[in-house]
Amino acid sequence: MNVNVVNQQGICRVGMAGEMTIYTAAKTKDALLLAMADCNEIEMDLGAVSEIDAAGLQLLALAKRCAEETNKPLQFVAHSQVILDTLDLCNLAGVFGDPVVLTSGQN
Amino acid sequence: MNIDEILHTFIAESRELLQDMEDALLRIEQSPTDEELINAIFRAAHTIKGSAGLFGLDYIVSFTHVAESVLDRVRNGELHMAGELVAVLLSSCDHLALLIEHLASGGGEPAAEIQEKSAALIAALHVYLDEGAAQTTGVVVQAELSLHGSSEGGGEVETDLWHISLRFGLDVLRNGMDPLSFLRYLGTLGEIQHIVTLLNDIPATELMDPESCYLGFEISFKSDADKASIEGVFEFVREDCLICILPPRSKISDYLRLIAELPEENLRIGEILLRCGTLTQAELDAALLLQHGDGSEPVRPLGEVLVDAKMVQSPVLEAALGKQKLVKEHKSSEANLIRVDADKLDELINLVGELIIAGAGTNLIAQRVGEADLLESTATLSSLVEEVRDSALKLRMVQIGGTFNRFQRVVRDVGRELGKDIELVISGAETELDKTVVEKIGDPLTHLVRNSMDHGIESAETRLANGKSAKGTLKLNAYHDAGSIVIEVCDDGGGLNKQRILNKAIERGLVSEVNNLSDREIYNLIFEAGFSTAEAVSNLSGRGVGMDVVKRNITALRGTVNLDSIEGQGTRVTIRLPLTLAIIDGFLVGVGSSVYVIPLDMVVECIERTAWENAGGDGRYINLRGEVLPYLRLREHFEVAGASARREYVVVVRHGENKVGLVVDRLLGEFQTVIKPLGRVFNKIGGIGGFTILGSGEVALILDVPSLVRPAVNFETKVQTAAASGLTDQRI
Amino acid sequence: MAKTILVVDDSATLRQVVGIALKGAGYDVIEACDGRDALTKLDGQKIHLIISDVNMPNMDGITFVTEAKKLPNYKFTPVIMLTTESGEGKKSAGQAAGAKAWVIKPFQPPQMLAAVAKLIMP
Repeated sequence: MNVNVVNQQGICRVGMAGEMTIYTAAKTKDALLLAMADCNEIEMDLGAVSEIDAAGLQLLALAKRCAEETNKPLQFVAHSQVILDTLDLCNLAGVFGDPVVLTSGQN
Repeated sequence: MNIDEILHTFIAESRELLQDMEDALLRIEQSPTDEELINAIFRAAHTIKGSAGLFGLDYIVSFTHVAESVLDRVRNGELHMAGELVAVLLSSCDHLALLIEHLASGGGEPAAEIQEKSAALIAALHVYLDEGAAQTTGVVVQAELSLHGSSEGGGEVETDLWHISLRFGLDVLRNGMDPLSFLRYLGTLGEIQHIVTLLNDIPATELMDPESCYLGFEISFKSDADKASIEGVFEFVREDCLICILPPRSKISDYLRLIAELPEENLRIGEILLRCGTLTQAELDAALLLQHGDGSEPVRPLGEVLVDAKMVQSPVLEAALGKQKLVKEHKSSEANLIRVDADKLDELINLVGELIIAGAGTNLIAQRVGEADLLESTATLSSLVEEVRDSALKLRMVQIGGTFNRFQRVVRDVGRELGKDIELVISGAETELDKTVVEKIGDPLTHLVRNSMDHGIESAETRLANGKSAKGTLKLNAYHDAGSIVIEVCDDGGGLNKQRILNKAIERGLVSEVNNLSDREIYNLIFEAGFSTAEAVSNLSGRGVGMDVVKRNITALRGTVNLDSIEGQGTRVTIRLPLTLAIIDGFLVGVGSSVYVIPLDMVVECIERTAWENAGGDGRYINLRGEVLPYLRLREHFEVAGASARREYVVVVRHGENKVGLVVDRLLGEFQTVIKPLGRVFNKIGGIGGFTILGSGEVALILDVPSLVRPAVNFETKVQTAAASGLTDQRI
Repeated sequence: MAKTILVVDDSATLRQVVGIALKGAGYDVIEACDGRDALTKLDGQKIHLIISDVNMPNMDGITFVTEAKKLPNYKFTPVIMLTTESGEGKKSAGQAAGAKAWVIKPFQPPQMLAAVAKLIMP
């Protein structure tokens, strides 16, 4: 798992890459929290996530809750297929949905 | 590598292990406590049992199991390796070797004397097991059972959905188990109608251990699977998770207990059940009322809870995401598909067929020449050709779902026409079969479906009077089974009336009045020509043409059709078809100067005539290890000129449940053949399904086993039941 | 990409049958003939599931799983242990080592495939 952070004037783009699984969960949690502590707004790019299990899903939930608690806007974008499949399986599309989709849906 | 080669591995490995076992047993008398030796003996039994189980060799498994159990007690120090026990184990070892050799020489059920020996040794071994050993079985008490004690109070709920509540244990992920994986597997047993993922148990950020699992799920699940199978999905996490499974139509009080048992607040659970579609509002109210005892306390209306901001998701977002996903999937799958003209595929299959014939010719030459290099290279070539054949055939495989789905419309329209409310349930839609078969199965299926709707499913009034739901159900199902595809048409209608069929058959002269037909044979009479039982001839069927046409069409596809019925409960028609029509693996046999091909998957075994001619029999059947086996002389059947060969062979073939012996002069081995259809002129010849050209250029006829099996088996039935001879004999 | 399964059993027959069944279902299969051999296969490559017999020469299944779980790359790899009805005592030792899924011998290939599919889909 690679957590890539680009911080531009308080807006933090977090690119998640590789597997979000139990094998990487401990490191991912630390990296995520570190990235989120350091900005006002977060955009999490899930495009390069190649594998996700329940541990990864829990971390997404944690990030979302953490953002709500600290009043920082958090957006999940560019969901990879494995993410979409998992959200679909757990019926969580509404919780971790991709806001960009709304525009394409209106077209 | 195929199963036969693995069987050889198994035989070789077992011989080796038994040799080790014998050596160890002989040495153990000198050092009866040598753990290495005891372990080696145990392992031999253990490994042979495990591997034999893989092949379903029950006669080896059951015997080895007892020996293994005794050895396990020795290993645990409960038994002492002394003279007598060693002797019993040595005979067991010898006997096991005998069983393995039996397998090596062709297998099948072992002869009675071998089985007797097994039983005697098992009894001798049991002496060492019974000594003070209390078997501990069935001590596992499942947590969810507590939900199904007495269920007083409250009626049944309406939905036909299972409800599954899961709270995964903290260590599940650390143990390598992914809850999502179980959900995916659950999806293969049925359909997840609705799922609510519970994320609320994730603790505060700093306390949250990313390697612990905090997830819970509430699932409403639609499935025909039984409770044990659904429980089985979670067997590996049963011990450290909270799992509650409620079957469809459980009592309201069961749900109440579930609500109480789950860790979350009751109202919240109630509301989740509501959202899953497991309970209706009224049912939930009733449940909560029950919980409040006399119901005097005011219950907070659930409507209020639903508005709770966190629980209601944005439907727009969800819908939009779903849409985007669809678009993505559609694009990616389209890019991977090429449309090909079906004729081109047929041409390819034809060429592959020719290639197989040419390859067989080359093989023959190679064998005649006997050059090792050449043989090796033709062998490689053959296996490649085989792979090419398989992939070519796969190209023509299509899912049966498309055909099944067409019936939605048929069922709706015909249902309206008949004034019956009938639901069509489709399963096995992804089962694949050859395109040509799919094209030809539509008509017979339509007939069966209409027939079920017309004659099978009763009118709503009759159904209600018989305590059934007013709505009838028709099921279409498909699955693969040993080189065939099986298609089932089931209805939950009135079933067939045996007596009425019999009367009609007697009236029509299809059977005599004195007969001893089994239920199944009686039911299958409706496939005979000129048969109709419906008293009111309706618009759709009932004119007596139909079922016999269905049978003829299916037989033409080298398939069979069978019918089972329980009066008052419904009828099931089972169609069994070959997966492909073009190419078969055949077994070549010779009679006089003619060569015939028997489809290999129907061949059970071959025996030499000397092995059976003295074993009893009256010229119509033989005694095959105690089993009555009818037989047919191909020489007589096809009127082959010349005298019988001095030495004859019997090829035992099976179709469905029926076995028949075919008597031939020579066995010529396995051969892959392309089926070429016979011209119209030969339509009248029974027992021939097509022809093929051998590598040598000779023509060989392909036997149509089902049509050969039938008359012989009919004869057998008559012999066995000793019925009067009035029954019309379907001589070929 | 197909998921990889390590099959550890001293019976070549079992390895072959299980191997063919798993390959047929779309998994990649690596075979090892005992615990010691299996440990050499844990060289860092991704393995999604381990299927291991208990009773084997050289190194038994329980020791093998205990050792495997010490390696960071295989700490969380799910394990299916093969046992016999008479092996209940071994089961608790295996549970302690981290093997929570058990399949009872003798089994037939479809049973094994179902057990595998519960843990990892092909």
